[in-house]
Parts: sequence; structure tokens; C-alpha cells
Amino acid sequence: MTQGHQRSVVAPAEINGWKATGERKYRKRQLYDYIDGGAELYLSYGFNSLASRDYTRPGQPDITLDCFDMGSSHNAFGVFSQSREKIEKDAGQGSEYASGQMIFWKDRYYVSIMSQKETAESKRAVFALARSVADAIPNEGPLPAILNLLPKGELAPESVRYFRHHVWLNSHYYISDQNILRINEKTDAVLAKYGRGLRRTVLLLIEYPDDTEVRLAREDFTERYLPEIVGRRAVRIEDGTWTACDSNGRVFVAVFNASTEQAALRLIDAVRKMMIKSQKQEPEHE
Amino acid sequence: MSNRTHTRRDFLKNAAASAAAGALFLNAPEELAPQAGAKSRVILIRNRNLLDAGGAPRKEVVRQMLDDAVASLLGEKEPLTAWRRLVKPSDVVGVKTNEWSYLRTPVEVEDAIKRRIMDAGVPAGNISISDRGVRGDDIFEKATALVNVRPMRTHHWAGVGSLIKNYIVFSRLPFTHHGDSCADLAEIWSFPEIRGKTRLNILVMFTPLFHGIGPHHFNRTYVWPYQGLLVGTDPVAVDSTGVRILLAKRRRYFREDRPLSPPPKHVFLADTRHHLGTADPNRIELVKLGWKDDVLI
Repeated sequence: MTQGHQRSVVAPAEINGWKATGERKYRKRQLYDYIDGGAELYLSYGFNSLASRDYTRPGQPDITLDCFDMGSSHNAFGVFSQSREKIEKDAGQGSEYASGQMIFWKDRYYVSIMSQKETAESKRAVFALARSVADAIPNEGPLPAILNLLPKGELAPESVRYFRHHVWLNSHYYISDQNILRINEKTDAVLAKYGRGLRRTVLLLIEYPDDTEVRLAREDFTERYLPEIVGRRAVRIEDGTWTACDSNGRVFVAVFNASTEQAALRLIDAVRKMMIKSQKQEPEHE
Repeated sequence: MSNRTHTRRDFLKNAAASAAAGALFLNAPEELAPQAGAKSRVILIRNRNLLDAGGAPRKEVVRQMLDDAVASLLGEKEPLTAWRRLVKPSDVVGVKTNEWSYLRTPVEVEDAIKRRIMDAGVPAGNISISDRGVRGDDIFEKATALVNVRPMRTHHWAGVGSLIKNYIVFSRLPFTHHGDSCADLAEIWSFPEIRGKTRLNILVMFTPLFHGIGPHHFNRTYVWPYQGLLVGTDPVAVDSTGVRILLAKRRRYFREDRPLSPPPKHVFLADTRHHLGTADPNRIELVKLGWKDDVLI
């Protein structure tokens, strides 16, 4: 299994009585052959390669290990964040276990270990295999810096989604079928929910490569989604919730689904404070 | 083809209007297509005894559900009379199934369909059931009629694995239809080997997948025994109804409005852009038969 530039992640040949039965490797175009219909998620996060192997043990369900090299820790975290429902750390830098399946990320790797059915033995093996693979990845990778701009407060940490493709914005909060916020591989976007209950407040931050892009995105957003915002800081939309937006430097900020105008603006202002705090912590450049 | 922007606010202002724009029907035989102003009929049938203790479908219950659904769809008392309106003895019939390993079209459903097509007079040699092998399959290449059947599930990139999407393997280059989260999948339905041939669409809702995680997008946590079938001649109307059930299940499970990831825009664009059918609930006549508990719609 690939790691570093040429080295291999050492997946064990045997774990708790399950024996590996060979390894398959996939590059971009081949990924469709392996996960038909699922490849686009990984491709949209800069997929590099996949190494996959099956483990078998008589009388027990097969276990499949998929180790994705996503090229960077940002991408690995991003793809992991797409489906996270709870905060766990049983392997790597973040993990999640459900019904026989463990997924985790570490450094630039996104790893899935799935038992075809869950038995007590297969669950133990899945956890043991996850820890073994995580230990074979020597370094942890940095998280995207834009996450540092998320105010803590009522943040639901499991709701944080990081992405660089506009499809993933609509996956979690539908705004428009067109990419009106100009999200692409050169932007860093994070979406997070605040509070609890049926209707949570949604915070969206997008960092653009330059001032022109953030200006154009804000203009498009204003013109095509929120024209009433001109001269105001927040707008009450058709469902009775409040939407607000702001931009600061290269970062665009939007709050959706807020129950009151004050709640929307509190979050906008909290992001501003996080930005100031973040700028103070950055080293100065000549 | 319109490239008008559809925003959340548009939907909030009038959820039905945009979906109702172009409910024309290109893919059903003329006698089965709704007339101007008529609604697309969709049958939802459920049976609480469909699945046995091991989760396998009982074949006799499957057959009965399919019979009842098809008869109700065409307003016939006898299922065979209804099937004879769908296929003629001279037809060559391709049954487009789905063999995704984690949640395939149950063999019991395929068998029930084939049995009824044969009962309607089509020789077994003129029927083929296939998924990825449709290209190059003799029967599919000369098919005069198609039956489209697959389970409903969420999908990594298209939002849902739908009846509309089930025909993607008719394309020489399926990945060329992946752009913009598979937005224009319905264009496949205008291929000569498909256009106008689909007599029946069956969305299997025995154990739908309402959320997916990991590279294989499957986890048993996120299936539930809904024990239903959705049946219709309008694939968009059937898919749209299936989507609404998945959304209701997600809302109940996650305890918040949780859109499908990504949104299944191909279902709605199949209506508004490609005019394949209607996705608008106001233009769908939903007939509910059988078990009503937790019907979600």
C-alpha cells in the first residue's frame, strides 16, 4: 500500500485469524471499475491512488481494507468529513464506526475497513486492523487552516464539512443548482452547523485565492440569491429564517437558517473576531 | 434546454412550479402516457410480511404485490389483463435490472416480472434480464419493450440510484454523464435503443438505503425494512416519489432536515429540462395499497 512518495503502508498479512488474500491497486480511471458510482467523491477531493485488499477467515465474514491516498491531509480530512455523524478517535486522526465498518483518516490517507457482516469477532478484527494500519502511517497531517475560523460556541463538531467542489455545498445546505459562489479546487470551503434541533444555523466560510474572486463571488451571491442584502447586514427569507453575509479579505462568510437577525449577526461577528485572532497568530511576512 | 438558476428561495416561493414546467412523456407507449392535464399514476404497495426472519423476500408475497400494483396502475381487475396491455406476444423484452452487490434487485422480483411477461405470451427466448451486459446482449439490441427495475438507494454522486440512472449502462461511456452530479442523466433516455420502449418502471423499496458512508456507500445501519414497491409508467414520477420517502426517512432518523448528498438534481431536471416525466407531487396521483404503518408519504 502506497505511502510517502514511494514507501508502502504496511497492512498486516494476518489479523485475529483473518488472512490477506492479495492486493489490488487503482489509479484515477480505474477507480470507476472498483467503486462504480462512488468514484466521483474521491476524484473531487484530489484522489491519487487506492490500495485494496481482502481478509478472509473460515466461518467469518470477509473484511475489505481500502486505503486511499488522497494526496494531502486536507483532502483526506475533507472526504472523511463528508459523512461524519459523530466524533470518535479509535484510529488515526479521526474515525467513525458503524455496523461492521470503520473509516478513519490520518495524514493524507483515508481508510475504510468493512466487514461484510458484523460479528463480535469481526468487530474486534476491524478495530485491530484499523489501529495496525494507522500505526503504519508515521505522521499526522495538518487540518485545513480555514477550520480555525469557525467560532466554537454552539458548534456541532460532527457537522463540519470541508470541500473544494460546489456539489458538496448543496449536499449539506442547498442554495442553488448553479455554482454561484464560484467554489472550485482553488477555494477552501467549510460548512458547519450551530445549535441543536430540527433547524440549526448553518455557517459557510469560503477562502478564495485572491480579492477579485471573493468580490465576484459576493456579487454573484447577492445578485442571484440575496438581492435584498444591499445596504443591510441580514435578510429574512421566505421560510422565516435569516440569512446574512460578509466578506473579509479573501474570505466570504454566510450564515443561513438563523432563527433571528441577532443570531445571524452574532455568528457573523464571531467569525470576524476569529479572523482577527487568526491574523494576529500568523507570522509576519516582508 | 434551460440553464436558469434554481435557488433554495425559488423552491421556497413555489416548490411545485419549477417541477411542473415540462411534464411531457416521451418514454411510455402512447396509450399508457397521461393525457394533457392528467396526472402520472404511481402505485406504492407494501406488505408487512414481505421479508422473512432472515430478511429475504418471500417470493409468493413479491408476486402478489407486483400483480396488485400492475393491475391497479392500469385500472384492471386481473393482473394478466394489465400485463397484456404492457407487452404483446410479439415483443422482445429487455428487463433492465441492477446488480449492485450490496443492494441488488432481488431475484424474486426479477422472476416475478419474467413470469408475468411469459404469461402475457412472450416466449422465454425473447426475454433477457441484464444489468451491465445490456450492450451486446442480443435481446436488448433488438428489444421492442423494456422493463426497468432497481432498488432505491442513496448515491455518492447522483444523490440517488434512480430508475432514470439505471439506464446509464446503455451509454458507451457512462462516466461522460457524471458531470454536474449526473444532472443530465435523463438525456440517455433519448437514445434510439431506449426511447419510447419502457413499458414499466419498478422501484424496489424492500430495504432502501437512505444514507451512505465509506467508499462503497453502504452500511446496514442505513437500510430499513420498508417492504414496498413503487410502480409506474412515468420513471420521473416514480423516482420523485422514492426520493420523497428517502427524505422523510432521513428527517426522521437524523432529526433534522438533511438533504440528500448530493441533491438528486437529475430527477428534477428530468422533468424541467428533459421533459421525461413529472417530478411534481401535485401532478402525481399516488395510490397507496397495503401496509400503512410508517409509510412516510
